[in-house]
Amino acid sequence: MDDLNVKNQPVLKQFVPTPPRPPHKSERGILGTIRHRCFNSIGNSLLTLCVATVLFYLVKHVLDWAVFNAVFIADNRRQCMDISPDSACWAGVISWFNGLIYGRFPVDEQWRVNIGVLLGLVWLLPLMSKRIPLRNFILLSWIGLYPFVGGYLFLGGRFGEELGLVHGAMTCLALAFLAIIYANWILSALGKKGLNELFVPLVSRLVERRIHLLSFVAVWLLVALVIASGLSQVSLEPVPIERWGGLFLTFIIAGFAITMAIPVGVILALGRRSKLPVIHWLSMTVIELVRSVPLITVLFMAVTLLPIFLPADMEFNKLTQVLVAVCLFAGAYMAENIRGGLQAIPKGQYEAAATLGLGYLHTMVLIILPQALRMMIPNIMTSFISLLKDTTLVSIIGLFDIMLMARNIANDKDWVGMHTEPLVMISVLFFILCYSMSQYSLNLEKRLKVDR
Amino acid sequence: MIQSSTSKPQKSPTKGTGLPSSTTQKWMFLLNNDSSRAVILQAIVLVLVLFGLWFLFANASENLNRLGMTFGFDFLQVTAGFNISWSLIPYDPGMSYWRVFLVGIVNTLILSFCVIVVGTLIGTVVGILRLSDNPLVSQLARWYVEVVRNVPLLIQIIFWFTVVFSTLPAPRQSYHLGEWLFLNNRGLYVMTMESTLSWGWIVALGVALIAALYGLFRWSKPYYTLSGSRSTGFYIGLAVWALVACWAIWTFLNSTSLSVPSLQGFNFSGGAFLPASFGAAFVAMTVYRSAAIAETVRAGMQSIDRGQHEAAFTIGFSRVQSLRLILIPQAIRSIIPPMTNSWLAATKDSSLAVAIGFPELVSVFMQTSMNQTGRAIEIIFMVMGFYIFISLLISYLLNKYNDSVQYKVR
Repeated sequence: MDDLNVKNQPVLKQFVPTPPRPPHKSERGILGTIRHRCFNSIGNSLLTLCVATVLFYLVKHVLDWAVFNAVFIADNRRQCMDISPDSACWAGVISWFNGLIYGRFPVDEQWRVNIGVLLGLVWLLPLMSKRIPLRNFILLSWIGLYPFVGGYLFLGGRFGEELGLVHGAMTCLALAFLAIIYANWILSALGKKGLNELFVPLVSRLVERRIHLLSFVAVWLLVALVIASGLSQVSLEPVPIERWGGLFLTFIIAGFAITMAIPVGVILALGRRSKLPVIHWLSMTVIELVRSVPLITVLFMAVTLLPIFLPADMEFNKLTQVLVAVCLFAGAYMAENIRGGLQAIPKGQYEAAATLGLGYLHTMVLIILPQALRMMIPNIMTSFISLLKDTTLVSIIGLFDIMLMARNIANDKDWVGMHTEPLVMISVLFFILCYSMSQYSLNLEKRLKVDR
Repeated sequence: MIQSSTSKPQKSPTKGTGLPSSTTQKWMFLLNNDSSRAVILQAIVLVLVLFGLWFLFANASENLNRLGMTFGFDFLQVTAGFNISWSLIPYDPGMSYWRVFLVGIVNTLILSFCVIVVGTLIGTVVGILRLSDNPLVSQLARWYVEVVRNVPLLIQIIFWFTVVFSTLPAPRQSYHLGEWLFLNNRGLYVMTMESTLSWGWIVALGVALIAALYGLFRWSKPYYTLSGSRSTGFYIGLAVWALVACWAIWTFLNSTSLSVPSLQGFNFSGGAFLPASFGAAFVAMTVYRSAAIAETVRAGMQSIDRGQHEAAFTIGFSRVQSLRLILIPQAIRSIIPPMTNSWLAATKDSSLAVAIGFPELVSVFMQTSMNQTGRAIEIIFMVMGFYIFISLLISYLLNKYNDSVQYKVR
């Protein structure tokens, strides 16, 4: 608008800044830059040389140890030592690789873990496409339904026997939902109506309101029944939770913490911002208490106090206790992030929502929370990264996550005393995971800034 | 829930049930009124929470009865009977569980204090190096931070313990620095001074001397700011102070004897001892903390307007001067709140030393003592209470300090 006005007035000249002068000849080009920034004074030159020398020897030694002199094929640690005594013995890590990833999950059943993880990723894939309507529901369905499918695949068992009826039914519903998502995606790409519209003509004759919803439910139930009849024919070998381990268990704990952190955090943050004194004080107490104690004490508390404070006939395995603790812990930290976002929302947004006649719930869900969460994405990602790192703590209370599996290699009779290589290997793994998460969050931050 | 209760009355006539009965109307009135709804909601939440607490409490007492256990803090007077590998305050197995608790607290505090001090120093340096014009230096600082930050602390602690400190030579082949420092796979042995004077006196004298010097500077400051030079009274005071200080150091040195660590049998005796687990935990936590603090410092420094830096450069300040006089005093305002969190995190992270057996609070009290006494509830609440107390204390003190350095808006 302003630009147009300016152009229409012939009197005003547009301001054209003088282009900056090019840098001095000695500072141009790569060599110039290096000279200008690394060797511009005696002190700086010395510093550069020192750092370069240290860096050279560091990189050389690390590469010698980890790659050039390392042993990749050997039967035990003694052989490794014979071949090359002062360098890495990756053969041990390679022979334990399966254990590091799957823990003590039976080898014949490990395909189920792969399928389960793959299914989880496939479920989230439609989120990438902007074509699909109601993408938030896919995320919600993932949070609400995927755990049942995962639980079925990882635990195994027959429907109605080892596997509870409710769990079985939910698994079928979840798989049916996934099938409908994909069918709709394909159909919409072909330009046809979604699968959930299948019964619309039929339903519209029977009832007047909520035709689309009822049609969707009918299709969903039908598909679920088909899947149930299929699944009841197969039976998966039951795998007790105690045998879960390795990176797989780390992912389960981290994934659970990450997915539960947001809902718990939102509830606690809204509670803390509430004007009702009871709710405000309760939320604040919970947040502050949990945030001021170390995670390891919360884990100890879950493992030792939950059995005391809950009825004797309620039996929990260690994983459930840990998940409860991690969920509480993650929620309290997330609540503070979300509260920061809530505080940054201008008062006008609340007033505008009130003017439109929205109640508390609608104001929050439709107006405030989407903005607050978006604003806090970098902090939320930082919390997720530290949650992923913190999952290693469960090894202290004896869950066989990747950390404990890695430490166990040193107790194997073939690889006695091999500490360094497994630790380096999982360090690199965590580094890759966390670094890519932080880079993704930076990327997301930039993209959202452009959007606004 | 609240929204649905307000919108329902408008829709209800469409269902064709006729006029709602008088009692329903009364209830609807209560739900549609903001203040009464608030009371009802809070009452429901309160009742639920109280019921939950009662439920937990009832279960606990039933379970304790069933297991034949009691609740109470009488166990704190019982003799602990187990050894603690390292303790700053005197401890022997004949002492009580209360003493074990204190030993754990002191060890935790000493570890986190060392980590905080050294970690903050290194972190500040790395954070400033990160902004260096020299690309080699800034990239080195950057990758130091990235690598350290993205590997879990627990892995780093165990790495330092099993890979570095446990592979040091045995006591007989210790690395040593003259006769006063020995480093081996058990830990670090340092020469110490043992004084016939009580440590309380020495510390009190030292504190008094430092306070006197501070008072002297403080007293002469008005004259100094006005004239630019110190007054004669200041120099006389300084001379007197120096005499007293010399006398104090002379008496101190006269009263002390050196305690040198010496190899006897398979181990050292004499001198002070720091176990390898302390070394590993200290190094790993310091490195980890320094990376976090470097990021804080960098963010704080970058939050200052670039013009400040250029202005300092224009009036001829050197890099160090502009940092010391212009940039750091301004950056400190935005650095302190995240720094507080970092220090709190360092205190909480010290609990991870349990993984390598360093006798800190979680290790000696929450693991060993709990296994021996079975008093899970009491012990967990004591440990958590300690951490909560420390958190509140540190955040209170730093809030005070934070208030004093913020911009004064008049």
